[in-house]
Amino acid sequence: MNSIEEFYSLEKKSGYAESLFNDLSDINSRLNAFLNITRISGQNYPFSVKDNICVKNVETTANSKILKSYLPPFNATVVERMLSKNFDFIGKTNMDEFGFGTFGLNSERTPRNPFNEDYVAGGSSSGAAIATAVLKYHIAIAESTGGSISAPSAFCGVVGFTPTYGAVSRHGLIDYANSLDKIGLMSRSAKDIRYVFDIIKGPDNYDSTCIDIEKRKMQSDEGKGAKNTIFIINQINDLLDESVKSHFSGLVSKLENMGFAIKTIDFNLLDKAIPTYYIISMAEASTNLARYTGFKYGLKNNEFSKDYNSFFTESRSNFGTEAKRRIILGTFVRGASVKSKYYSKALKVRGLLIAKMKEILRQGFILSPTMPIMTPKIDDANSLTPVQNYGLDILTIPPNLSGFPHVSFPYDYDKGLPMGAQLISDHFEDYSLLDFVENWENSFKYQFKYNLGSI
Amino acid sequence: MMEAIKIGLEIHVAIPTKTKLFCSCNAYNEQEPNMSVCPICMGFPGSKPMLNAKALEIAKSVANALHSDIAKTISFERKVYFYPDLPKSFQITQLSNPISQGGFIELQSSKKIRIRRIQIEEDPAKILHEEDYSLIDFNRSGRPLLEIVTEPDIFNIDELKEFMNELKSILYYLGIDINTELKADVNVSNQGERVEVKNITGLKDMINAALFEIKRQEAARASGAIINKETRSYDGANMITVSMREKESDEEYGIIYEPDLGEYSIKNLPIIEPTYTNKIAKELAEKYSASEKLIIEQIMFDKNALQLINKFAGTYKINIVISAIEVLKRYNKTLDDEKFEALLIAISKNVLINSETINDIEQGKTIETSSEIDESLIDSAINSMLLENKQLLKDYVNNPKVFNFIIGQIAKKYNASPKYISTRLNILLPKFVAGK
Repeated sequence: MNSIEEFYSLEKKSGYAESLFNDLSDINSRLNAFLNITRISGQNYPFSVKDNICVKNVETTANSKILKSYLPPFNATVVERMLSKNFDFIGKTNMDEFGFGTFGLNSERTPRNPFNEDYVAGGSSSGAAIATAVLKYHIAIAESTGGSISAPSAFCGVVGFTPTYGAVSRHGLIDYANSLDKIGLMSRSAKDIRYVFDIIKGPDNYDSTCIDIEKRKMQSDEGKGAKNTIFIINQINDLLDESVKSHFSGLVSKLENMGFAIKTIDFNLLDKAIPTYYIISMAEASTNLARYTGFKYGLKNNEFSKDYNSFFTESRSNFGTEAKRRIILGTFVRGASVKSKYYSKALKVRGLLIAKMKEILRQGFILSPTMPIMTPKIDDANSLTPVQNYGLDILTIPPNLSGFPHVSFPYDYDKGLPMGAQLISDHFEDYSLLDFVENWENSFKYQFKYNLGSI
Repeated sequence: MMEAIKIGLEIHVAIPTKTKLFCSCNAYNEQEPNMSVCPICMGFPGSKPMLNAKALEIAKSVANALHSDIAKTISFERKVYFYPDLPKSFQITQLSNPISQGGFIELQSSKKIRIRRIQIEEDPAKILHEEDYSLIDFNRSGRPLLEIVTEPDIFNIDELKEFMNELKSILYYLGIDINTELKADVNVSNQGERVEVKNITGLKDMINAALFEIKRQEAARASGAIINKETRSYDGANMITVSMREKESDEEYGIIYEPDLGEYSIKNLPIIEPTYTNKIAKELAEKYSASEKLIIEQIMFDKNALQLINKFAGTYKINIVISAIEVLKRYNKTLDDEKFEALLIAISKNVLINSETINDIEQGKTIETSSEIDESLIDSAINSMLLENKQLLKDYVNNPKVFNFIIGQIAKKYNASPKYISTRLNILLPKFVAGK
């Protein structure tokens, strides 16, 4: 039984919804999971939505000041599909502005790790992961561009599933980098994710990159990867913290005992993934953010007496620091004089990375720790330079850059903080990942500090 | 020999689709400003473009008609610049994989004006500049545009006119009326660097702008100035071009691939077959030994005329068919085949066609083919005119042009066909001259 069926099978006491709302508001004032919380009936299973996904007439800002008080006139397709199946929308979750961050710290309301509030929750889907870790019955609609589902899922000890690129419609998702953005899910079990993924996936008349993964799987000879072979990339060894390394080798032994064939393999291009990802994502982001000029929606600039350039410049000063950095870098790498050195080259390298990873994934899964470091304290993460920070995405970027489905699942605990591992499969093999995690969950019990909404 | 003057064109025409290029809004709602808009064409956060296949079909048909190499797969690019008429602050256009590349239009002289590329893109919104404020109408935002870029193969104004007429005719037969929606950038070099005149509306201004540039560059060179690469705009009111900026390098648009649209195969899209009116006119003229010029004038921008000629030119003399078409145009009528044939018969039998007879034909009344009344009316008019003006006859002997004066007078008075009067006059006049 998944937790959705369980939820409906249980009798809720009167006042259930009220006390859930109060408990959640209370804990939210400390952890900052939600940017806004909606009162729900308590009769339907709740879902939260990352703040970069449009919910009709609910403030949706991608956590940016520039979209302050923006009320979308339409629902994202994923939201529409959830509502049509009678799920209840419970609130918009905190995130790094426009998804720009690894730790959730590019937010005016610092998201905190529910296992220890001095530590980061991870980003950019910080609030989605915290909400999942504190609510007993809940599923989070999150989004990943370069690891925004995996990273916070690992730090908050939940299952974070990022489907094949295009499996879920992006209609209503506020773009960060369109060729990389994927809507995915976070939950406390793979069963719940499977149930909801079935509802939200599939083609959409409002997103032409959206595909039917089952149809594609049947049409191609792709996704024939051996289900009991797991590859570990040799090149990740030098990237891991010692304690991550030792915990991870424990996981590998367990999997071997469970009957998986563990193999090591070289992936020489791994170190090219970060520059490739950041060039492409920033180039696309800088064009996506060009539309925020302060006069059609979001923060309105009423200085209409100014000339266009001053008007635009003034409006756009409302972006946060990281957004400004990515606009500037992204505009630079697509400039006519340097484009071939950066943007065009990155597109080529991306092609090579996809081909190389596919070669491996046709023979089995790829497994790694989700993050190369132990969960950092908020203060330590804040003192990282941007380049150090970007470097920590090294394990989540490869599948994101290549559109391969991947899942981060909790596999161990260290000083009370959860640790996550990330499993990658071939395109359209989304369900093999869920099969794997369901199997894992049979022998490993996830721990949670909070269980708000228990019945 | 190096040509002195070289003109190249970038022509934008609106593609006549019901809906916009990337959304299902009505593309041609001219009634109320900002009524034909949605989150997609307003560039709202979270909206994604959905490509209009009909626009691709029409663009592919144009490419085919201009002998351009049609791409197997096409893709789109984002051209980024900040202006209030551009909702996303980037325009979705085509750069690396346009609809087609290469191609040509052949002029009467058999000279080919080469096409460089044909692409589709979205139209920005319309800005209405008032005295101390501006208004934006997003009804136009996202309308499909076709851009046709030529090589600088046009060497003079006559070629420019002929090229544009031919292009207009080809587009007209594919369902694109470019009289209302023609915008162009005209590149002119007169033995110097290329000067681009941007944002010209309409054919007349294109010609005037090109003429002005040719003369301006000529004069500048004569005075010893060097023509630099430059962008100018056209001031239609004063019929001059004005410098916008000197070009050091090309403009910076930071163009990237449009990831929301991906690649499209257009291989299996249907095409509308092209019609080349100059070729058809030539063939018809040869077949029926008629004037090519007369035919082309009728059919270049008139599908109906071409249909009628094709249908009736074998059965009736082509000149009769053309006369009948002229009648339709003069009286602004459309007739079904049966009634058109009645008109043809009437003209063949020299029936005087005036507003009365054409109305009779339209209403299906039988036309008195015994046209004695008309004939006698015209004959008596000619007679009395000649009798009353003896001087005319004298003049005629010395100066046959008097003939035209008589025809003109009678045609005006009786609303009659000059051709018919001329036939009658040819018969009657010798009698008078002889009997003088």
